Amino acid sequence: MSGADLGIAALRVLAPVLAILIVLPMLQWVERRGAGLIQDRPGPNRVGPFGLLQPLADVVKFFMKEDLIPSNADRFLYVLAPGLAAFAAMTTFAVIPYGATLTAGGRVIPLVGADISIGILYLFALTSLSVYGIVLAGWSSNNKFSLIGGIRSSAQIISYELAMTTAAAGVVLSGGSFKLTDVVLQQGGSWLALPFHGWNVLPQFVGFVVFFVSAFAETNRLPFDLPEAEAELVAGYHTEYSAMKFAMFYMAEYINVVVASALTVTLYFGGWGLPGFHPTGIAGVLLSVVIFAVKVSILVWIFMWVRWTLPRFRYDQLMRIGWKALLPLALVNLFWVAALVLWKVL
Amino acid sequence: MTVRFAFDVAAGLAILFACVMVVHRHPVKSVLALVVSFFALAVTFVLLSAPLIAAIQVIVYAGAILVLFLFVLMLLNVPAEVRQTPGRPIHHTLSAGAIVAFAAALLAAFRSYGATAAPPAPAASDPADLAPLAKLLFSDHLLSFEALSILLLAALVGAFALARREGGP
Repeated sequence: MSGADLGIAALRVLAPVLAILIVLPMLQWVERRGAGLIQDRPGPNRVGPFGLLQPLADVVKFFMKEDLIPSNADRFLYVLAPGLAAFAAMTTFAVIPYGATLTAGGRVIPLVGADISIGILYLFALTSLSVYGIVLAGWSSNNKFSLIGGIRSSAQIISYELAMTTAAAGVVLSGGSFKLTDVVLQQGGSWLALPFHGWNVLPQFVGFVVFFVSAFAETNRLPFDLPEAEAELVAGYHTEYSAMKFAMFYMAEYINVVVASALTVTLYFGGWGLPGFHPTGIAGVLLSVVIFAVKVSILVWIFMWVRWTLPRFRYDQLMRIGWKALLPLALVNLFWVAALVLWKVL
Repeated sequence: MTVRFAFDVAAGLAILFACVMVVHRHPVKSVLALVVSFFALAVTFVLLSAPLIAAIQVIVYAGAILVLFLFVLMLLNVPAEVRQTPGRPIHHTLSAGAIVAFAAALLAAFRSYGATAAPPAPAASDPADLAPLAKLLFSDHLLSFEALSILLLAALVGAFALARREGGP
């Protein structure tokens, strides 16, 4: 492998992660201005035009804050936990295709970090690990509120992961592949003729709803943010964290929102594709990346919209929805997709 | 060569953290050592060109079962174990015997491995391809596959029956 190939591979892997890290402060601005819009108040508007520099001021504040470690905390795990949370969030993007395959200078460059054949399994393996960051933060802080937050989180993530994977199994079944690039290509076909090869959201609407609702629970966002429920648990698992360690949890949450949106777009909304869009040349590939970014942005906005619209569920309601509503619905969806595949509709 | 080196490192880490899991006094730390050990094990699976097993190892063991272990340990708030008074002589004799027997078995395994192990043949197709595995599961091994799922269901129902309170719902 030559140096140029290595450089291209590194760029392929790093580009989406860097893009997310750059957009991250903007997301926070959008969330707070959006909250202001929804609650009929201005939101941050003092620093810079429209408060656009507020995220920058917040980053400076994170760096300047005192970094506290509670005296009875388990120091090693307390320091490790935020790193684990951020790591699990960032590595998930490695297998999500964010653009069409680029052919330039005799090289074929698929715009995806690593196009592995067990892509979907890899994603679920890593999201199931994200719970460790939260659980360890809750436990090592030596604080009752944090511990309850951590325990809630582990129960919640295990419950909703089941519904989420079962819903995603429908996509695997109709596409016949665990590879995310295959899933995208398979959705790029005809919308009018049978077998149907349009976006998965149409034949598998129930699966999409189950997947998207579970994604809220997996990312600990309202209405499922029980692990940090500020009204009852102060701030849950990150009560004791300050400065950059808190910032890492904060980052992990937003990265998880972006990854969950990107995954939903890939599985149900055709990834970087549009009906009748066949990218050719560099301009076409760039357009495919833009299409992907726009779709992801719309879903990220829905995440924020929901946060400021719906109240938090009670814990028993959360468990009931997960086990008695979402899981059976996901199973029904799986049978429905199996029937469609059997009758050669998909 | 680098693959062999990475394999040795991963295998060494797996064994090391398995030992940490056994000897650590604190149950939560023991579980975490086991997580690291399972991860190292998953890496060895990848290097043995079985990425599917590695993914399942991480999803099922590291991602689900050990999270449940942690959940229970944290819920019960199990403290670190304290050293008990020294055991009776028979304990020492028995554990020494067990260690010697285990070491002998390990040594025998290593010796026979050196004699017979051939370099693994390169996989004919994509090792992560699930279709051949799925075909095998649902044709040749269908009976054992279904029997296993019924066994798991029976275990689930049994656990439910045991956990249910007398006269409760």
